[in-house]
Amino acid sequence: MQSEVLLAARVSVRYGDRPAVLRDVELKIRRGEVLGLVGQSGSGKSTLAMAILGLLERKNSRPEGTIDFDGCDLLTLRERELRGLRGRKIALVLQSPLSSLNPALRIRTQLREAWRAHAAGSNANCEDAIRAALESVSLPSSDEFLRKYPSQMSVGQAQRVLIAMAVMHRPALLIADEATSALDVITQSEILKLFRQLNRSFGMAILYISHDLASVAGICDRIAILHQGQIVEIGTTEQVLVSPQHEYTQRLMAVMPKMPQGIALGRAAAN
Amino acid sequence: MSWRTNLGRALACAVLLLVVSLSLAANWLAPAGYAKQYREAADAPPSREHWLGTDEIGRDRFARVLYGTRISLLLAPAAALLTTLMAALVGGLGGYLGGRWARGAMAVTDLFLSLPWLFLLITVRAMMPLNVSPLASVLVTFLMLGLLGWTSAARVLCSTAGSLRESDFVRQARASGICGWRLFWIHVLPNLKPVLYAQFWISIPAFILSEANLGILGLGVAEPMPSWGSLLKELEGMVSVGEEPWKFVPLILLVVVVTSFQLVLSKQEEVAA
Repeated sequence: MQSEVLLAARVSVRYGDRPAVLRDVELKIRRGEVLGLVGQSGSGKSTLAMAILGLLERKNSRPEGTIDFDGCDLLTLRERELRGLRGRKIALVLQSPLSSLNPALRIRTQLREAWRAHAAGSNANCEDAIRAALESVSLPSSDEFLRKYPSQMSVGQAQRVLIAMAVMHRPALLIADEATSALDVITQSEILKLFRQLNRSFGMAILYISHDLASVAGICDRIAILHQGQIVEIGTTEQVLVSPQHEYTQRLMAVMPKMPQGIALGRAAAN
Repeated sequence: MSWRTNLGRALACAVLLLVVSLSLAANWLAPAGYAKQYREAADAPPSREHWLGTDEIGRDRFARVLYGTRISLLLAPAAALLTTLMAALVGGLGGYLGGRWARGAMAVTDLFLSLPWLFLLITVRAMMPLNVSPLASVLVTFLMLGLLGWTSAARVLCSTAGSLRESDFVRQARASGICGWRLFWIHVLPNLKPVLYAQFWISIPAFILSEANLGILGLGVAEPMPSWGSLLKELEGMVSVGEEPWKFVPLILLVVVVTSFQLVLSKQEEVAA
C-alpha cells in the first residue's frame, strides 16, 4: 500500500520576473507515508505547499512542470476543479494556529463551513461530522467548547481544531506547513503524536514541512532536504540522519541541538 | 480609560437620548405642526404660547426646531447607512477581490473624490422643478449626501479587505475548499463589521453638518419643511447676538448634538483607525 505513489511533482516556480524560488524540484509522496520537507526560511518549502494546493495564483507566480496527484496533473486543473480537491483530497494545516482560525467566528461555524464546502446533508449530519472530527484529535465536542472563539482557546487547542478541520473529509494528503513551529515543546510533541496517530488510523499521507530537523526526525518515514529551491538530498529518515550525503544536510546535522556530554553520560550511567 | 471620559460619554448619551426623544414626541409637544402660521404674531419674541417665539411669517419656532431635529436626526443615519453600504460594496468587495478589481474600485473612488460635489448638488437642485415637494427635496438632499460621501470609507475598507484576503485564516479557509461569495460573506465580512459600524456612526454627525451647510446655502430641505439647515438660515440677517438670542437655539442644538456624537463616537474612531 505504502509503495503506491500518491503525488509526484516535478515543478519550478518563479514570482514575476525574479529568479525561480523552486528549481526543478522532484518529489514523490507515497500513500500513507509521512514525508518530511526540511529547509531554512526562504528555501521554497511553503511555495511548494501552495503550488500543490493551487493557491499561488494571487501572488503573480508562474508554476511550471507537473504535479501528478491521484492520476491528474494539478497544474492543468481549472480553479473549480482544484476547489473540489482542496480540503477533500488535500488538506492544509498552517503554522500559526490562532491566526489561521477566523477570530470573528465561533469554532462550530468554522468547522461547519469546512464540512459544508464538500458535503451536503442535514444539520444533524454536520454536527455528527464535527463531533467525530473533534474526537479524532482528542478535543471535547461539547456545546460549550463549540461556542468558543479562537481567542478563548490555548494555542495547542487551536492547532487541534485546525487539524480537525483538515481531517474532516479524510483527505489522502495532509500538508502540515510548519505546523508545530509556533508551539512549545510539550504541545509540539503532543501534536506530532497526533499526526502519527492520524496517519496510522486514516492511512493519510503527510507532507510535514519544517525547518526543525529534530521534530521531522520524530515523525517522518522519509526526509527531503530543500536548499535554495532545490531538493539536495532525499532518503529514509535513518539514511539522512545517520549518513547525510550533501554538505548542506551535514551542516544541518551539525547545528542540531544535542544533550551536553556530561548530562548524557550521567543519564546513561543512571540507566 | 479615565472616569472623566466615561462620565463625558454617559452625559453625551443622555443628551442625545433626550434630543431624539423630544424630536420623536414633536406631534404631542407641538400638535399644531411646523407649518401653521400665526399671522397676528409674526416675528414674535418667546411667550407662553410660543416658547421660542415665531419666525417672520408667524410659524412657531419651537415646533419647527422639534420637527427639524427629527428630520436631521432620522435622515442623517439613513444617508450614513447608504454611504456604508456603498463603501462596503465598492471598497470591501474591491479589496477582497484584489488585483484589477481593487484598482478599479480605487479609480471609481478617486473619480468621486474629484467631483465638485457642491456644484453637483446645485446642478441637481437646479434641475428639479421650483415647486418640488418638501419630501422629495429631503430625499434628494440626503440621497446626494449618501451617494457622494462613501469615498473615504471605501478607501479604508478596500485596504482592510485587502489585508484580510492575504490573512492566514482566509488562506486556511481557501485550502478547506471554501471560495467565492461564501468566503467573502462568512469569513471576510464579519471581520469588516467593526470598521463598517465605525464608519456608519462617524458619518452621522458629518451628514448632520453637511445638511446644515446646504440649508444655509438654500440647497437643503425645501420650505415649508424645517431642518437644522433651513432654521440656521434665519441667522443670516442677524445684526446683534444679544438682540434676539432665542434665534440661536437651532445653532446651539446643532453644536450640542454634533459634539455629543463626537464624544460617544471617539471609541468607534479608534476602531476605524
